[in-house]
Amino acid sequence: MADFWHTLVTQRGDLLTALGQHLILSVVSLLIALMIAIPLAIWVIPKPKTANVFLQIAGVLQTIPSLALLGMLIPLVGIGSVPAVISLVVYALLPIFQNTYTGLTEIDPSLEEAATAFGMTRWEKLHKVELPLAWPMILSGVRTALVMIIGTATLAALIGAGGLGTFILLGINRNNNTMTLIGALASALLAIILSFALREIKQIRLKPLLITVAIAVLGGGGFGIYKLVQPQPVSITIAGKLGSEPEILINMYRDLIEADNPNVKVTLKPNFGQTSFLFSALKSKQITLYPEFTGTVLESLVDKPKQQATSANGIYRQAKKALQQQDQLSLLPPLKYNNTYALVVTRAFAEKYHVRSISDLAKVSNQINAGFDLEFLDRTDGYKGIQKRYGLNFKTQSMSADLRYEALHEGKVNVTDGYSTDSQIRQYDLVVLKDDRHLFPTYQGAPLMRTTTAKAHPEIVRSLKRLQNKISAADMQEMNYQVNVQKKSAAKVAHHYLVAHHLLGGER
Amino acid sequence: MSTEPCIEFRQVSKQFGTDYAVKKLNLTINSGELFVLVGASGSGKTTTLKMINRLEDASAGDILYQGQSLATLPLRTLRLQMGYVLQQIALFPNMTVAENISLIPEMKKMTPAVITQRVSDLLNEVGLDPAVYQQRMPSDLSGGEQQRVGIIRAFAAQPQVVLMDEPFSALDPISREQLQKLTLRIHQRLKSTIVFVTHDMNEALQLGDRIGVMQGGHLVQVGTPDEIAQQPANNFVSKMFASAQTNDIYGVYLNRLKVLGYLEPLASVDQQLPVFDSNQTISEALPALQENGAIQVNDEMTLAGKLTSKQLLRFMVKFKK
Repeated sequence: MADFWHTLVTQRGDLLTALGQHLILSVVSLLIALMIAIPLAIWVIPKPKTANVFLQIAGVLQTIPSLALLGMLIPLVGIGSVPAVISLVVYALLPIFQNTYTGLTEIDPSLEEAATAFGMTRWEKLHKVELPLAWPMILSGVRTALVMIIGTATLAALIGAGGLGTFILLGINRNNNTMTLIGALASALLAIILSFALREIKQIRLKPLLITVAIAVLGGGGFGIYKLVQPQPVSITIAGKLGSEPEILINMYRDLIEADNPNVKVTLKPNFGQTSFLFSALKSKQITLYPEFTGTVLESLVDKPKQQATSANGIYRQAKKALQQQDQLSLLPPLKYNNTYALVVTRAFAEKYHVRSISDLAKVSNQINAGFDLEFLDRTDGYKGIQKRYGLNFKTQSMSADLRYEALHEGKVNVTDGYSTDSQIRQYDLVVLKDDRHLFPTYQGAPLMRTTTAKAHPEIVRSLKRLQNKISAADMQEMNYQVNVQKKSAAKVAHHYLVAHHLLGGER
Repeated sequence: MSTEPCIEFRQVSKQFGTDYAVKKLNLTINSGELFVLVGASGSGKTTTLKMINRLEDASAGDILYQGQSLATLPLRTLRLQMGYVLQQIALFPNMTVAENISLIPEMKKMTPAVITQRVSDLLNEVGLDPAVYQQRMPSDLSGGEQQRVGIIRAFAAQPQVVLMDEPFSALDPISREQLQKLTLRIHQRLKSTIVFVTHDMNEALQLGDRIGVMQGGHLVQVGTPDEIAQQPANNFVSKMFASAQTNDIYGVYLNRLKVLGYLEPLASVDQQLPVFDSNQTISEALPALQENGAIQVNDEMTLAGKLTSKQLLRFMVKFKK
């Protein structure tokens, strides 16, 4: 419980941002769905056959799993808020359309007859009689849609649209149940509060409500236009993958860029998604830059060079060249640390058997009981590579990534795999064995941006280059530890590092 | 009463599929009269009514409104001149009483001040205190009260014609009686042409200046109440008429005897005769009749005629069940 409050307090800024994004995403989707479904329902009232077809279509749309729908939208409209809003609208259509249609068709025919006999036009009948009578029914459809939208909107975080799903995903990613709980609770609360608010609206009469909505829409539009007309400072968006490390890095980027260039406004999108999302977001100009790893570029983003370089510098140069040729992207010079696979042992084990490198394990291979991640066991640059390149064979068991450090710490295994900057290394005071035969590829973090951006804004490139060859693996472990375990904010940790290493002057 | 034609049916038929609801109907309804169409269900009376404001369109023949064919009149113009009262009452449940009544005047672009005044006058006219009823919702009203509002809603914009489709069939007998009187009073004051549909011969006799009896899509007789009472055109009409007979013969209002033509005309006030009002009953008048052989009947202070014992006996023989 104390953990819950602590997380809530330290993350309250992020939580409010996520809540705001979630609310805007939901309300915008709901308004669009209203503007589609209600006129459509009105239009098909005299055509029951068409209405039936529409009901079927809306029903089918609703059975598409939301993840699948998001996935299908990515090649069409990219990532970010647009596909999120589209899929939320799709889900909201059925309840609103169905209730509006039912509400309008179930009006007492004698009332319709009276309205006709009094000489009302279709429009007069609609806004004086039919819509007010169907209003409670329509509103209940809107409420259903709203609750559904708020729930589904948590998935928007998967495609970089932000919202409360960020907390849930981050919680899962960091094995931090508190964060997941906060995200889930906040979205449930939001649904309950908005649904309650809508029930209150039922008491309010239709006209003032419509006027309010019209004013809000006009006002919003006016504000948007005002914003567009205003002279704009340079604004850039920096995104990061899931996890604490990218978030710390992009906070450093922002601090440096903003300190050097007062006219540049940086927006951060931490925990924006997986590698492929970020890569396509960068190419489709939805973000300005993000930190990528040299090894990842060669492994998954470009065609693998025939002869892969072994030195860190060589890998960087191969990655840089391939990205420039393939996608006209610029990979700026990397940081110092190498966040690659590592074999990890406890300090006690290392000292007892005098083990400092992977080769040293040969001396004690019959003592070893290794716990490896399933993927590591199977990779040629994982355990298979160790067997081949180091000629090592020892007892192994597979265990899930989040359990292996604890298992090592508790002595259930004595060797495990990890990443060289994992915070648990610092947390449990573990030892990373030297990869003396260079099995693991080098993964150095470096800012990735479009070459056109880099040419247009050399001042930004200059700021980013100040991090070149900075931050050691130990520094990164320490910072990850502060964010993941001590629950400090990534912004604070990043800022503290920059000040301590004289990259920034004084406290802000 | 003028005899200028207001609505004329010329050889009008209405078919639903292969069935005729109305067949070759010829009928002229005069301006300012209260015309009652009476008939059993399925006789075509409601269809006939709905063809006047084109809720139904005639399959054949021609209907004229003030000399003009309905087909040439813009629908909205036509309907705004015709009030409509439904059996289901059909007050709009989302509007207050005042809003329901203001609806058509607003559509006719009457000024708010005039509308407010009219709403309050009409509510007073039907005995509903505007201060109490104006802001109520229809669901807060009894059936009888609702139909009062339904009637004044139809009259609110002073239409030329008011069509009433079995407006009192769903009401209790006391409300029905009250509303029939109300209809007569409003008709007398506003002089609109009223076409009134009912299956109840009693109601027809009570209300109609003239009555049209319908049977199986045909108009079998048109005439004043006493013509229908005295000379029924066929067996069906006399049967319909018999249904108007009553068990409580002594409870019948003197007005009914006037309507059915049992009063003798009286040139001037006869000082010898005791005076009764038309809304008193036969049983109230019996002792005076027994003593004087005749009484004078007044209709709200104006002389209506003389009722003799002999005439009363004729009526009782005919109408006693």
